Amino acid sequence: MEILEFKDLKCVPDIVHPYTPSLRNNSTPIIIDNGSYQCRAGWATSSEPLLIFKNLIAKPRKERSKKDTVEASQAPQLQVGNDIINIEAVRFQLKTQFDRNVVTHFEAQEHLFDYTFAHLGIDSENSVPHPIVLTEAVLNPNSSRQLMSELLFECYSVPGVSYGIDCLYSYHFNEVKPQENALIINLGYHTCHVVPIIGKKMVFENTRRLNTGGFHIISFLHRILQLKYPAHATSITLSRAEELLHSICAIALDYRKELNRWTDPLYYEENIKRIQLPYNASLVSSALTLEQQKERKRELARRLTEINARKREERLIEDEEKLNQLLYIQEMTEAGVDKEEIDRACADYQIKNVQDLQKHINNLNQKIEKTKQKIIAANTTDEVEEPVAKQAKHTKMVFENEKEMHLFVQNAKKMRQEILNKKMTRKQRKQDMAKRRTAAGQERMRIISQLARKEKGNDDFGLRDEDWDIYKAISKDGGDSDSEAENEKLLELDDIIRTYEPSELDETLNPGETHQLHVGIERYRAPELIFKPYMLGSSEAGLSEVIGYVLSLFNNEDQLKLAENVVIMGGLANLPGLQERILSDLISIRPFQSIVNVRTVKNPSLGAWHGAKKWTKSGEFKGSFLTKKMYEEFGSEYFKTHVASNPFYHTPKGQNVDIEMV
Amino acid sequence: MSADEIRTEPKPVFKTASFYHNSKSSVKKRAWKSLKQIISTEKALPWPENVVHYSSINAPPSFKPAEKFSDLSGLPAPYTDPQTRLRFANKEEYATLIGLPMDITAGYLALRGASSIVG
Repeated sequence: MEILEFKDLKCVPDIVHPYTPSLRNNSTPIIIDNGSYQCRAGWATSSEPLLIFKNLIAKPRKERSKKDTVEASQAPQLQVGNDIINIEAVRFQLKTQFDRNVVTHFEAQEHLFDYTFAHLGIDSENSVPHPIVLTEAVLNPNSSRQLMSELLFECYSVPGVSYGIDCLYSYHFNEVKPQENALIINLGYHTCHVVPIIGKKMVFENTRRLNTGGFHIISFLHRILQLKYPAHATSITLSRAEELLHSICAIALDYRKELNRWTDPLYYEENIKRIQLPYNASLVSSALTLEQQKERKRELARRLTEINARKREERLIEDEEKLNQLLYIQEMTEAGVDKEEIDRACADYQIKNVQDLQKHINNLNQKIEKTKQKIIAANTTDEVEEPVAKQAKHTKMVFENEKEMHLFVQNAKKMRQEILNKKMTRKQRKQDMAKRRTAAGQERMRIISQLARKEKGNDDFGLRDEDWDIYKAISKDGGDSDSEAENEKLLELDDIIRTYEPSELDETLNPGETHQLHVGIERYRAPELIFKPYMLGSSEAGLSEVIGYVLSLFNNEDQLKLAENVVIMGGLANLPGLQERILSDLISIRPFQSIVNVRTVKNPSLGAWHGAKKWTKSGEFKGSFLTKKMYEEFGSEYFKTHVASNPFYHTPKGQNVDIEMV
Repeated sequence: MSADEIRTEPKPVFKTASFYHNSKSSVKKRAWKSLKQIISTEKALPWPENVVHYSSINAPPSFKPAEKFSDLSGLPAPYTDPQTRLRFANKEEYATLIGLPMDITAGYLALRGASSIVG
C-alpha cells in the first residue's frame, strides 16, 4: 500500500528584482492582482508575475517582560509575504489586510505594498513613478477604494491607478476569443462569484457572491482531521491541510453515490489515502522487540563478568607478590640474618613477630587458592550462564493441556470485560445524573426534594443506619466510583492476558503506523462545502443552487446564451471533477436538450494577472487611469470605469447619515 | 505606528515621509473598520434606486432542505444521539461516539455550526 508523505514546502524569500533603465524611464505600469489568498505582482513588460506571495504579514508581538527602550533595536523584524519561511511557526501572529475579499486593514496593505515595490527594485526617491493596475473585489465598497487611493497617491505618490475586477480581466483579456455572453464562475479563497456577462458587459444586479471558498475548505479539512486524530492535533497544521486539498481532494460527481461507495470495505481499502506524519524514531526505541531486549541484557551480563574476571586476576597477582616477599623474609630468618633488619622488614608489612609472619603466609596461601578456584569456576560456567528469561511480571503457570489454559484465559478476559462494563455503566449513570431530563436525573431530584421536606414531629431520619444510604444514591458519582482496587485488578488481568496471548492486547508493531492519517471520505467531504455550505452551518445556498438562481433572473433567451458558455476560473478551478460536477448539476436544472457548455480556463489562478497585463496593451487602457489630479479634483472615492471595472456610484451625502449611524 | 517602530524599520525611499493613515480611528484596539461595519454604514446611506452594492449580491439562502451527514464519517446519517447531539450513521459509529470526550464532541458540533443552544 502506497503511503504518502507531506512535502511541507517552505517559502523561498523573494529576490529584489533589477530596476532596469527601460523600466525606470518608460514609466512601465505595475500590475498587481491583489487577491485575498495571494498577491501577484509584476511589470506590464514581464512575461510572468515576478512576485507571487501570500498576502500575509507576521507581526511579532512585543515581549512584555522586556523594556522596549533597550530591546527595541533587537526586536524581531516584521515578516512579509515570502519572508515568512515557516508559516506554522508564526501562525498566531499572522495578519492580512483582507476582511473576506475586501481590503480593510490599510496598515497591513501598506506593509505589503512596501514589500512589493521594494522587491520590484524601485529606488526612486519619494515616489513610485509607475501607474498601478490593481484588482479589487466585485462591488468593492467605496470606503475601501477611497482608502486604497489615499494610500497609493499620498504615500507612494503614484502617477495613476486603475481598478478592475480580477475575473473580468481574466475573461476579457486572457481568453483567446471571448464570447459576448458568458457565465463566469470564479472560485476564490474567501468567496465564490457567479458573474453573468451579456453583450460583453457584466450584469452587476444579477451577480451573486457565495461567501464560502478555499479558506473554508482548508479549515474544515484541518479541523475534521484534528478531531479524527486528537493525538496528532498539533502536527496536523493548516498548511498541511492546504497541501492535502491540492494533492488528494476532489469533487464528487454525485456526492450521495460517492458516499455509498465508501460504505463498501473493498472500495474503502482501495481508495483510502494513507499519509505518514513525521515522527521521531528515538521515541520508538522503547518498543524494542523481545529478541533485541534479550540480546541487550546478555551483552550487559557479559561485560559484568569480564570486569569481575579482570578484578580477580589483579587480586591474584597482587597476593602472589606479597606472598613471595613474605616468603623471602621467612628465608631471611631461617638464614639467621640480623634481628633488627628482620624486624624492620616485618614492620613494613605490619607484622609483629615471626609467629605472626607464619600466620600471614598461611592466610595468603589460602586466599590465592580460593581466587584460583573462582577463576576456574567462572571460566567454565561463563558459557552456560544465561539470563533467566523474564516473564512479563507473571510467571507462567503450568497447565495440564491446551484446553485448560484456554479456559483460564477466557476467564480472565471475562473478568476484564466485567470490570470494563461496570466502569461503563458507572460513567453512563454519571452522565445521566448530570442531565435533568433523564429518568435517573429525575429520580435523584425526587429524592432530594423528599429529603428537604420538613415534617414536624416525626423526623426519625438517621435512626437506622440504612437511612444514610440515600446519600449514596443521590451523589453525582452514583454511590461508588472507579476504585483503586478495580483499576489494579484490571491491570493485572491485562497482564495475564498478555502473557498467554501476546497478540491480543499488543499495539501495532510498526510504530510509524500510529502516525498515519487515513483520509477517505474527507477527500470529497471537504470540497463539497462549496456545494453544501450548510455543512458548516451557513444558511447560504450552494454553488449549483446559486448558479441556478442567477440564471433564473434572466429571460429564457439570455439563459440559453449564458448556459452555452459557462467558464470556471480561480484557484479552486483545478480541483479534479469540478467541471464535470457543475456540468451535471447544470444539465439537471436546464430544459431538456438545451445546450450547456462548461469549461475551465487555461491558467485559473494567474489568469487575472495576465489579463490585466494584456489590457494595458489595449487602447482603452490609456484613458482609464485615475490620475493624481483627478483624485484631488473629484474627491478621493472617484475612479475611472472601464470594461473590467466596477461601476462608480457617488456616495450620497445623506443629511441623515449621522442619525442613522447611531 | 509608534515612534520606536519607525526607528527599527527604515522607510523605503519611494515612500512619502509625511504620510500617515488619518482615517484610522484613534481608539487603539479597533483601529480599522471591519467589513461588517463598512457594509452597515454603506447600507444606511440613501442610495439612488438602481445602485447595486456589496451586500446586495449575497447568495440567496438555500431553498433545499439540508441533508444530514454523520459528524464522524460524513456518511448519510439517519440518527442523532440525544446526549451529544451528534449525528451518526450506524451502530459502530455510535459505539465510538459514546466513548468520545467532551471536547471532541463539542468540536464536531462547533464545526457544523450547531453548538449554539438555541439552534
